Order: sequence, then structure tokens, then C-alpha cells
Amino acid sequence: MIMLLTGLLSAAVLAGGVLSLAALGEVMAERTGVTDLGVEGLMSMGAATAILTVMFVPNPWVGFLAAMAAGSAGGLLFAFATVIMRANQVLCGLAVTFLGLGFSAAIGHSVAGIPAPVSFAAVKLPLLSDIPVIGPAFFSQNLPVYLIYIILPLGFHVLLFHTRHGLNLRAVGENPAAADAAGISVTAIRFWYVVLGAALAGGAGAYLSLAVIPNWSEGMVAGRGWIAVALVIFAGYRPLNASLAGLIFGLISAVGFLGQARDWPIAAPVLNMSPYLGTLGFIILPVMLWPRLRRLFAAPASLGMPYYREER
Amino acid sequence: MTRFQRFPVAPTGLVLFWRAAAIAVAGVIVACALALSGRNPFELAGLVIHSTVGSRFGLEDLALFMTPLVLTGAAVTLTRCIGLWNIGGEGQFYLGAVGAAGVGLYVSGPPILILPLMAVAAMVCGALWILVPALARAWINVNEIITTLLLNFVAGFLVYWLATGPWRDRVTGALVSTGRLPVAIPEMWGAVHYGFPVSLLVVCALAGLLRRTVWGYEVRISGANPGAARYAGIPMRWRIIVVMLISGALAALAGMFEVAGTVHRMQGGMANNFGYLGIVVAVLARGSCMAVIPAALLVAFILDAGIVLQTQQLAATTVLAITGLVLLLIAIADELAHYRPVGGIGQGKASA
Repeated sequence: MIMLLTGLLSAAVLAGGVLSLAALGEVMAERTGVTDLGVEGLMSMGAATAILTVMFVPNPWVGFLAAMAAGSAGGLLFAFATVIMRANQVLCGLAVTFLGLGFSAAIGHSVAGIPAPVSFAAVKLPLLSDIPVIGPAFFSQNLPVYLIYIILPLGFHVLLFHTRHGLNLRAVGENPAAADAAGISVTAIRFWYVVLGAALAGGAGAYLSLAVIPNWSEGMVAGRGWIAVALVIFAGYRPLNASLAGLIFGLISAVGFLGQARDWPIAAPVLNMSPYLGTLGFIILPVMLWPRLRRLFAAPASLGMPYYREER
Repeated sequence: MTRFQRFPVAPTGLVLFWRAAAIAVAGVIVACALALSGRNPFELAGLVIHSTVGSRFGLEDLALFMTPLVLTGAAVTLTRCIGLWNIGGEGQFYLGAVGAAGVGLYVSGPPILILPLMAVAAMVCGALWILVPALARAWINVNEIITTLLLNFVAGFLVYWLATGPWRDRVTGALVSTGRLPVAIPEMWGAVHYGFPVSLLVVCALAGLLRRTVWGYEVRISGANPGAARYAGIPMRWRIIVVMLISGALAALAGMFEVAGTVHRMQGGMANNFGYLGIVVAVLARGSCMAVIPAALLVAFILDAGIVLQTQQLAATTVLAITGLVLLLIAIADELAHYRPVGGIGQGKASA
């Protein structure tokens, strides 16, 4: 039983890392008022780029950085279209998803199915890793885990809610006209946070292909990008909640894996569907059961709306 | 002093101009990418023209691709009229295939009765598949983009499970497929079946419903100005639910036509991105039902061209990337069409 719980938790931390990282990036982009629905495509680009990179330079961190660069490239394209040209965000997001899925399959064709030569290795932290259950699950993991679950969420939380820059950033997402009048550059803030979000989505793809499933295959992202976008809503656009939500969903998919590996008497398709149905339930049920949540966890007021200075 | 001012309405002429420019830019980018990968873009272009509009087989393929695209495009266009997105066309398409295949495989009778029954079963399944997102949107304002999309993955697993499990092909042992259906939509011109004209008629009927009835007027007002619609006493929740259910049923009908007319079995992966491409069709059509038809023709052409490129050792997903590029450039073009040059500042105010 202890063994089972330990295995479940460490699988959850791994699988959830992908979702957390992508969701954290999306939280920052959406806080400035831009919905980036291209996460699925950007993750796919990141996953393929990471594997291609480590084939030449066998170091997972180099692969991770290359994936972030690939994500940023997609993010620059998306930010140019939506923030500079102010085109429809839903359309551009879908376009980036199509582009990313198609392009990653084309560039990753030659390495499809080949096991990654290197991957993020587990590092045992002294003392902490000896704690039963929690030790192996949380303190014998690869290093990006600490980046994903501790450093980035805390950093983003402090940035968003305890600095002047964070206040400006949220103002841009809530009321860009007021922010503009106060001398904040709406375009610059939106542009760079969208690129940051895209870079983290690329990084999430690298984490998927270098730590969770160490290879590249077409369609391996399998909706994780969309789940990450949904988690942002579930997390109420808060970085700490987003990383926790990623962990919860990691647990759901870990249960699915384990159930299939151990032949639980639950049909395989039900286990396969569980992350998607779970996400659906998690964004509908809390709002249904506790209507106050709708106001508390509301989206930034200008989310999805382009800002035109001349139409005030 | 000439400057550009943004106008709330984009004139059709400007939209067409910028879109033509966008498609030309996309063509140049694709040609450069092909040239960089060591292929002759002009030779390929000739080949694409010949095997799409230049031959009988090409034209048949175009019509076969258009049939589902017209319906999934209409499904998205309908939700756009009320200001919502249905990104779940892929899943509803699959559910339509499930409903149609279920009736086709397990109910026997004359085709004249079975085919309509298949269509009804498909549409009911598709409408049920979008029911939860529709209720969540209408009552607790849950983002329908995410909820409809997540169900696509669930539908994919459902079809895979049916096609490898209880409904698997026990006769020829085809992988991830049901057996061949005993009934088929009759063919009218080569491989083109009657689903093609029926889908065009459905779109015309939908256009009439939206343009010529009170219900359609209320739907369009609810989309254009929700505040005014609420003030006028239009029951918005019911309009949203009914619009989304019809949208699901339309996408599901595409699945039924594909199962009964083109593929003749239910297979895993048979939705072939038709649901997602319906979004592209709807965007191209800019909310007009009749414009769905030429828009579907353009997307069918891109798909057909993709098949030609596949025979030239290009990955099947290249066409997905090309579609993404076209969509991105068209989104930008549509925004550019809102800008018109105005003379001086005073003149600008006079013309606005």
C-alpha cells in the first residue's frame, strides 16, 4: 500500500509538472488580457525541438532551453498577430496550434520513436528524500520539479500580487484604457508576457519529452495543452493555484496509468478519458456548487479583447 | 495629412482584398519552404492544379471533402451568430459516426427507412454530446471553448474503444474499424453521394432560418448585443442551448454522411480534423451561412492539395501547418480590413 501510494505520488508529480508549467505561463499571459489558445501547438513544438536538440547536444538543460526558444518563436508570432496587429485571439491561437502540431510533426519525423539519449535524472535530496512516501515522491525527483512547483509559482505570485510591476500587469488585463492613461505601455506588457507564456509552454513540451515520456512521437502532447488552458480557469488565474491544479491533474492521469499497468477492473477507455472528463468536471462543478466562486475566481475583465487606444 | 482610422465595420471589398493578399503571402511562404527542402514549387503547383480542379477524380475528391466541411463549418457559423464558439465539432462528428454506425450495424430494414433513421440517431448523439457544455454556458457561464474541446478527446477514445472492442470488424479483421455497413447513401456522380447536395440544402435552410424567422433574428440580436437582447426580453439561455444543440447535430450529420457515404465503416481517426477545419470554414465565411459553401470549397482545395503533397513524400501533417498559416494570415487580414485612410482629422470625424 505504501509502495503503491509512493509510486502514485511520484508519477503524479512528473505528469503534473507538464501541466503546471504550461498553466503557469498561461496564467501570466491571461493576466495581461490575452488568451493564448496555441499552448497545445507550442508544447508540441517544444517537445520535438527538445528531442532534436539532445540528439546533437546530450544535455537535457540545453534541450529545455532550446524548447523554450522554440516556444518563444511561436509566441512572438502569436504576439505580433494579436497584440501588434490586434487580430482575433481565438483564431490566432487555433492557428498557432495547427502550425505547431503540423510543423513539429514535420521536423520531428526523423527522430520519431527513438528513445531520448538523455533525460532529466532524479536527484535525491539528503535527509528529505528519506521521509516515507513524501520523500521519494517529492524529494527524489529531477531538478525542474522544484522550478515548476516552488520557484516559478512563488516568484510569479510575488511578482503579480506584491510588486508595482505586477499591479501594472493586472491593470493592463482588467482595464487597459486606465492603465494606458496612467502611462503603462499596454502593448509592451501584453507582448512580452505572451512571449513568456509561450516560452514556458515550449518548456512544458520539453519536460514532457525529456522527463515524462522520454522520446518524440506525433500527437504525444495529446490535449495536455488544452487541459493546461482549462486549469488556468480552474485555478482562478492565480499562479500558486495553477501549480497545485497541475499536481491534482497529474494525480488523475497517474491513477489512469497505474490502473492500466495493474489491470484494475476499470475499463481502459474510462481510464484514458479520465483526465479530460476530470478537467471538465473541475471547471463546471465548483462554480455550480459554490456560485460565489464565479466572482472570486473571475477572469481579468479585458481577457480576450484587443485594446484600441483610439476607441476609448 | 493621410492617416488610417479603424472603422467598426469592415467592407466586403476590403476584406476580400486583404484576404487575397494573405493567401498570396501564404502561397509564397509555402513555396519558399518547399524550395528550401529541395523541391520544385512550380512543378508541385502544376501537379496540385491538375489533380484537384483539372481532373474528374480531383473534382470528385473536392466534393467529397466539401460535404463534411460544409456541415461542420455551418455548425461553427451558427454558434458564432450568438457570439459563441463550438470547438467540439470533431467530437460531435465522432458521435454522429457512432450513432449512424450503431443503427447501420444493428437495425435491419430497407435503406429508405434506415438511412433517415441513421441521420436522426447521429444528430441526437451529436446534440447530446454538446448538451453539458451548452447547459454550463447558459446557466453558469462556463467558457464553452474549453468544455466543447475537451470532449473531442473523450469522443476519440469512445470511437477507438467501440472500433476495437464491441463493434470491431469480425469479418475482415480491419484494424480500429467496424465491419462494413450494409446500407450506403446512393452515389450520384462517380464517388460523390447524395450527402453532398443534402449538405448544401441544409446550409441553405439554416441561412433561411437565421435570416427569415423571428427565432433567427433573436439569435442574431443575442449575439450582436446581449445587453439589448436581455432588455428586449429574449430568453437568452434557451436561445444559447438550442443553438448549441443544433450546432452539435449539424457536425454529427457530417459524421453520418462520412460513415454512410464515403468510408462505409466507423474507423478510429476518421474525423480527419473535419471538426477543427469547420472553424476555419466559419472564419472564412464571416458569420454568413451562404458564404460557408465557397469557404468550404477553399478548405477542401487545401486538403486535396495536401493529398497531392503526401504523394510527393511530404508528411501528412504539412497540410495542418499550411492550414494554420492560412488561418493566422487571414485573421490578420480581417483586422486590417477595418482600417481605411481618412483625410485630415476633421474629415475623419465627418466620415465616421
